[in-house]
Amino acid sequence: MSVDSKQSAAAPKATAKASDWFTIPAPLRRLFKHFPLLVYPANELPFRTLPNRELPTLYVFSTDQDALQGLPSFNPSCLKWQTFLKLAGAEFRIIPSTNHASPNGALPFLIRPSSASDADSQTPVPSNKLEKYARGNGSTQVPEVSSLRLEAYQSLLDHRIRNAWLYSLYLNPKDTALLFDLYINPTSSTQVVRNTIWHQLQHAAESEILKSTGAPAVNPPALYKGAEEAFEALATVLGGEAWFFGNLNPGLFDATVFAYTHLVLDEKLSWQDSRLRDALMNYPSLVEHRDRILARYWGLQG
Amino acid sequence: MVLELHVWGPALELPSIDPDCLAALSYIDHTVAREDWTLMPSNDPAISPDNILPALRHNGTWTSGYLNIVSYLTRYTANSIDNDATQSQRADTLAYASYLTSRGAALIAFSLYVSPSAWANLTRPAYSTLLPFPLTWTVPPGLRAAAIAKTEHLGLHQLAADVNPEDGKSDPKTTGPVTSTGFLRLPKRPGVTEIMQPEQVAAIRLQSLADDFFSVLEELRGPKRYFLSNDKPSSLDFLVFGYLKLIQVKTPHPFLSKCMKKSAAGTRLLRFLEIMHEGPIRWQPGKVDTDLPWIAPTPRGLLEITGKFGGGVVESVPGVGEAWKKYWRGAMKGEDGAQDSTQLIYAAGSALIGVAVLGAMVLFRSLPPFGESIHRFDAHKPERAGLHQFGDIGTIFDNLPDDLETPAKPSKRTTL
Repeated sequence: MSVDSKQSAAAPKATAKASDWFTIPAPLRRLFKHFPLLVYPANELPFRTLPNRELPTLYVFSTDQDALQGLPSFNPSCLKWQTFLKLAGAEFRIIPSTNHASPNGALPFLIRPSSASDADSQTPVPSNKLEKYARGNGSTQVPEVSSLRLEAYQSLLDHRIRNAWLYSLYLNPKDTALLFDLYINPTSSTQVVRNTIWHQLQHAAESEILKSTGAPAVNPPALYKGAEEAFEALATVLGGEAWFFGNLNPGLFDATVFAYTHLVLDEKLSWQDSRLRDALMNYPSLVEHRDRILARYWGLQG
Repeated sequence: MVLELHVWGPALELPSIDPDCLAALSYIDHTVAREDWTLMPSNDPAISPDNILPALRHNGTWTSGYLNIVSYLTRYTANSIDNDATQSQRADTLAYASYLTSRGAALIAFSLYVSPSAWANLTRPAYSTLLPFPLTWTVPPGLRAAAIAKTEHLGLHQLAADVNPEDGKSDPKTTGPVTSTGFLRLPKRPGVTEIMQPEQVAAIRLQSLADDFFSVLEELRGPKRYFLSNDKPSSLDFLVFGYLKLIQVKTPHPFLSKCMKKSAAGTRLLRFLEIMHEGPIRWQPGKVDTDLPWIAPTPRGLLEITGKFGGGVVESVPGVGEAWKKYWRGAMKGEDGAQDSTQLIYAAGSALIGVAVLGAMVLFRSLPPFGESIHRFDAHKPERAGLHQFGDIGTIFDNLPDDLETPAKPSKRTTL
């Protein structure tokens, strides 16, 4: 007791000595002692940040949930490279992104896990170098097609089918809702911004189509007809084989075809205008080709 | 039955300046008897509803584009040259036609339209002879812009910068005689990249593109006489012919025809052109004017030409042009034309804003600079006593500088 009282007597003295200006008055200090009233548990890391940081990352158009499960991207050129990396057996994870994030203004691009010793790992791999990357880093040998006819058939995909795809998604008024869901709504919640982006996308798609067709106006029936003819030619060249150009394993061309056929047939995308889908359904071999890739590399049923 | 084929007219010693038109007229010339068809160098895509040349008119029906014309004629005439083509040959035809119209068109666009010297010396003059007077100012630049856009994905479009051939000679870099400090400046020695023409800079990249193009074509033909079979030509042969003929055109820097002669696949394709000229192609290269069933198109009225010229001028106005083009040419059509009303509103709105801005500028220019009308205040010469009072001679002396009078003053001072 006496010790206590001594201390209590000494304390005011000490405070008085040190006090001057900087000590907090006792009532306030008592008040502050109550804080923090409640400590919340630490936030979990965002959904997107995955534990395995040592994997290369492919940045694609996708949704957070789809990217977590590594599901196919909804953008044809992203899906093409995503598929090709899978065919090559390269390990990677995908992260949803936008064109603004890309060093060359277009998705997809790949970032390797950075290591201080390797200068190359610091630079992103743009889509035109992904083929070389996949062949160098994949576990399976992807067949290289020697036939130059492939280039001619490639132009069917790059022009006829791509034009019909661009029209269906970006310009067809029936599927505006789908376009908003995929590309516009994730970017902004403001109506003005959304409408501006919508018009920009439409304008870009239209000028791409016009550049390719050489006509001054977009002619939807001609685009759909062109795509159907292209599907027919592709189905013919595929014939009864499992993969294009008689390969034992799927190659880059298969990935490119899959990128369009999968998205046209995908049930998750709620297409209102079924013209492109109907055109493709006429060629069961192409549908089976898509199902084969989906089952083999994603384990999904078409 | 008279088939009427509308094309871009003859130029560069060929019946048409456009590869698809050249292919279409050669194909029809091969399959249809001369008295059953006519060829019109209408030089105006707007003549057909699809706005594309070549366009075929038959009994009031329009068909445009090479493949569409071929399939129309196949349906129309019982024995077409493509009738016994197998399924896979049809697929090849479609794929190769698509390849030609993308990659082949880009190569031609580069050699004839994008390349500044070819454009200035060859292609633009050719269009000038095809088009009526004021349209030569608006149509060719539009065609060139479209061609530049086509070559964009090949990475060659940046060479399209307008190079004036005369400017090149008086390059300020090489003739700077005197520096600011007065020393004689030695003429700069131009580096390798500076003296190279843009076509030569592009040649390295073009070489590989052209080689690829020829190899892909030659891959399909192989040892066969024609592309699909040994004994008779198909519609694909005529399309390849059309594109290769324009690739062969002698430009000021004929890099494409040089590439063709150098590469193995290219020389085989040259042989293919000879084979085509020996049999299937019925017009003779030197007698283009008389060999084909030409019919002069109905001359366009002054009103139409002025209208087109006006449209072309408006299209090239920055800002307004894009909306105008959309509205005027009906960017959306067919059963999907739901957006027409908004397009119209945009076009009208932009046109209105453009006119309003222009009007405001004119008005602003004509206004006096803010506020009242201008007053000029000139310094009034003070009336002063001087020699000018004494007639003309006095005025002359009055204007003498005051300094001349000063010697008199010190004399006064010295007296003080």
